[in-house]
Amino acid sequence: MWLGLWLAVFGLGVGIMVGLNIPLVLPQAYAKYISVAALAAMDSVFGGIRAAMEDHFDNDIFVTGFFSNALLAAGLAFIGERLGIDLYLAAVVAFGVRLFQNLAIIRRHLLKK
Amino acid sequence: MNKSIYFSIALVSLILGLIVAFQFRTTSSIESGVPSGREQELTVEKRQLQKDITQLREEVDDLTAKLEEAGKGSSQATDAFTSELLKIRLYAGLTKVEGPGVEVTLDNLAENARPGGNPNLYLVKDEDLLKIINDLRGAGAEAIAVNNQRILATSEVRLAGNHINVNLTKLTAPYKVTAIGNATTLKSSLEIKGGLVENLSERITVKVEERDNIVIPAFTGELRFDYARSTQRG
Repeated sequence: MWLGLWLAVFGLGVGIMVGLNIPLVLPQAYAKYISVAALAAMDSVFGGIRAAMEDHFDNDIFVTGFFSNALLAAGLAFIGERLGIDLYLAAVVAFGVRLFQNLAIIRRHLLKK
Repeated sequence: MNKSIYFSIALVSLILGLIVAFQFRTTSSIESGVPSGREQELTVEKRQLQKDITQLREEVDDLTAKLEEAGKGSSQATDAFTSELLKIRLYAGLTKVEGPGVEVTLDNLAENARPGGNPNLYLVKDEDLLKIINDLRGAGAEAIAVNNQRILATSEVRLAGNHINVNLTKLTAPYKVTAIGNATTLKSSLEIKGGLVENLSERITVKVEERDNIVIPAFTGELRFDYARSTQRG
């Protein structure tokens, strides 16, 4: 459990370092999709943490959820762009609500201990 | 089983970190950069301005050529004015001139040569000088000076006591009248039989000499036209 947490923090740090230092800049047109994807990924991670706290963490669900959520969110934003609807807002609201729910549950689990 | 969980946690957090960092950088570059719509607008504007620049460059070339032409014209006009001015100054006697001519020396008759009578009779009078000047002018003298005082249209030749005033300058004998013109004509018109020199020689000494080069100075006084106004305009 604690090893996993440290590993997560470590991976996060390495990812941020790499992302900040590689001289690759994505086109600004993709910024919207990536932001939604990042939100979805964060939601998945907090969902994973919550699952771990509720002791029904499933690795496969976690990994597939992470990638499919991110891609789905980005794809939704992309389609919304094509259709002329700000569909990414739906993703933002949905994932945002879930994010807060997950956070709340995590908090309760932490406080119960 | 456990290992794959840790691996997936590390992988997911790594990717999450990457995405977040990327988004961070993109967002900050958007804030400091230019929105894409604005970019397009600016591109169009830039193209328009470049077109304007080429157009204005052509205009500049055109106008420069015109200016050069005008400058040429004006410099020609200036040259014409300058030469005209020089000519007029020459005519007016405001420039130093030189050329062939005669030098007439008038002096009071030496005391030992005087036949007697009123001594004032044997002095050079203003009339004598005026007659000489008049004769020289009649013979076509182009520039005349008395003792280096340039004779202009406004110059006076006036007896004032023992001396003669020319251009408000006191002159005393001997008087040297210099004139530029055809030396032979000038000389012969003065020395003609029954002419001025013969007449004056009875009272004073007159000597006429031809010179190859006579220098006559410019008029140095002040020209005042307080009352006379030109009736021509332009």
